[in-house]
Amino acid sequence: MRRDSLFPGARFVGYAVVVVCCALTVIPLLYMVSLSLQSDAEVFAGNPVLWPAHLRVDNFAVLFSRVPFGRFFVNSLVMAGLVTVAHLVLDPIAGYAFAKFSFPFRRTLFVVVLSTLMIPFFVRMIPVYVVFSQLGWLNTYQGLVVPFLCDAYGIFLMRQFLSALPDELIDAGRADGAGELRIFLRIVLPQAKPALAVLALFTFVFQWNNFLWPLLATTTTDMRTMPVGLTLFNQEYFTQWNLTAAGSVVLFVPTAVLFFFTQRYLVRGVALTGLK
Amino acid sequence: MVATLDRRAPAPVRTRRRSPMRRRQARTAFAFLAPALVFFALLFFYPLANEFVTSLFAGARADEFVGLGNYTRAFGDAQIRHAFAVTLQYGLGALVLSIVLGLVLAVILNQNLRGRAVFRGILLVPYLTSVAIVGLLWRNILDPQVGVLNRVLAAAGLPQQQWLTDHPLATLIGITVWQQTGYVTVLFLAGLQGIPHLYYEAAAVDGASVWRRFRHVTLPLLAPTTLFVSIIGVISSLQEFALPYLVTGGGPAGATDLFVFRVYQTSFAFRDFGYASALSYLLLIVILVLSVVQLKVGQRHAT
Repeated sequence: MRRDSLFPGARFVGYAVVVVCCALTVIPLLYMVSLSLQSDAEVFAGNPVLWPAHLRVDNFAVLFSRVPFGRFFVNSLVMAGLVTVAHLVLDPIAGYAFAKFSFPFRRTLFVVVLSTLMIPFFVRMIPVYVVFSQLGWLNTYQGLVVPFLCDAYGIFLMRQFLSALPDELIDAGRADGAGELRIFLRIVLPQAKPALAVLALFTFVFQWNNFLWPLLATTTTDMRTMPVGLTLFNQEYFTQWNLTAAGSVVLFVPTAVLFFFTQRYLVRGVALTGLK
Repeated sequence: MVATLDRRAPAPVRTRRRSPMRRRQARTAFAFLAPALVFFALLFFYPLANEFVTSLFAGARADEFVGLGNYTRAFGDAQIRHAFAVTLQYGLGALVLSIVLGLVLAVILNQNLRGRAVFRGILLVPYLTSVAIVGLLWRNILDPQVGVLNRVLAAAGLPQQQWLTDHPLATLIGITVWQQTGYVTVLFLAGLQGIPHLYYEAAAVDGASVWRRFRHVTLPLLAPTTLFVSIIGVISSLQEFALPYLVTGGGPAGATDLFVFRVYQTSFAFRDFGYASALSYLLLIVILVLSVVQLKVGQRHAT
């Protein structure tokens, strides 16, 4: 009935384009895995190989013994975990206030919150760095976490989601004499699980990968996070690429696993909010 | 997007006298909002103001008042003008390439291709990979001594390249396209799925060819998505820091001296906080203008 292709075989060409692009996307990451399993000789020979002759799983042991990579891992986990918990508390509670309460200056305050989306991190980094160094917060967990405790994306997301919640549900809670905080925790939050999942996922991945702030806010080996710790293999004369790659794999795998199980949500989240 | 926000919220009913119930509601709402508002005040608006004040000072301790001196210095600074030009080239190059590629991939994936979800997932992976990994991995792959890419090219009978010395900016653009095309594709896919199928059927009934359907139905209806992707893309490229920091060090000879990397160098390497603050503010103004354009055009599409 209707011709669906631009030229004969267009469907096949389209398929080929997608497959090639996917291959180009994945191959560098597979090469990273290969690199993480290569011996020092293979890495430094100036004769790079696509795949090692013997899989040197040992690199991962060296990674955790020669450099305190375990410590970096824990620091990353603490930073991303704490920021995620903070978002899961602060974003929905503020979003709920905007969605379901009427109060003076509501519109103005909402615009104020949204306007923070236009203040990029590079504008905040110098003043926050200066203040934190005066407070003695460099090389501390609070120093890593506090600049990211909540954000307008999360508040916006929760407000949109909670606006659709029926008012009767909340009124019923009030009629039962429940306090406002109790209504929020017992009635509102459980209804918001899908939105909270998207929020948690994005917040965690974003902070897990965060590079610029941990680079500025930490100087001691003890307090480095993984993305910054990776750069430490760059020594003065040479870079231990197999260890760098092994560290990259350790940093990458949790995100990949998380992504694999939650792809549907993530794709929807990206499409919905254009989250950066 | 932002323009459509307030639609679903009920308009507050105006009463002359506040009832006790409403006052209680307002108190609760402010209590719920307080943590977020305090946070934004201390970690967004205070730094924003502080940065401006700092930009009026010079010296290693930023204690010598120079008025707008840092700003006039920036306009006369050849290095800064160069960094800004490089950043614009980088941002526009990465944007145009990833939009074209992303649109092509989205259109193909939108045709009920088998394994669509898998392909979409694969394409999105680099976007979720830390910039630290992306930067270091590509620096290794492109390295003149230990890099594997040149060896693969040689094996295929293709000429080898000094990627980071001969075409440094184009190479950074390529890495960025590698990282963000999947994201752009997903945004375009969402936009394509919002186009009612009816339009295509009507066009097909009128005998429009596939190309004409794409040109006169898909592209115009996709314009809001394209604008959104463009502004978001440019704003994020203007802020790129990790690639010059990790891959090229801003070189060779300043060829990849992206603006935020320059701000970083000025503040954290040269300790010229006043000047760095002024530079930040100049870039902020550019980004604000872009954001306002997005808001205005977005509003027009929403109504």
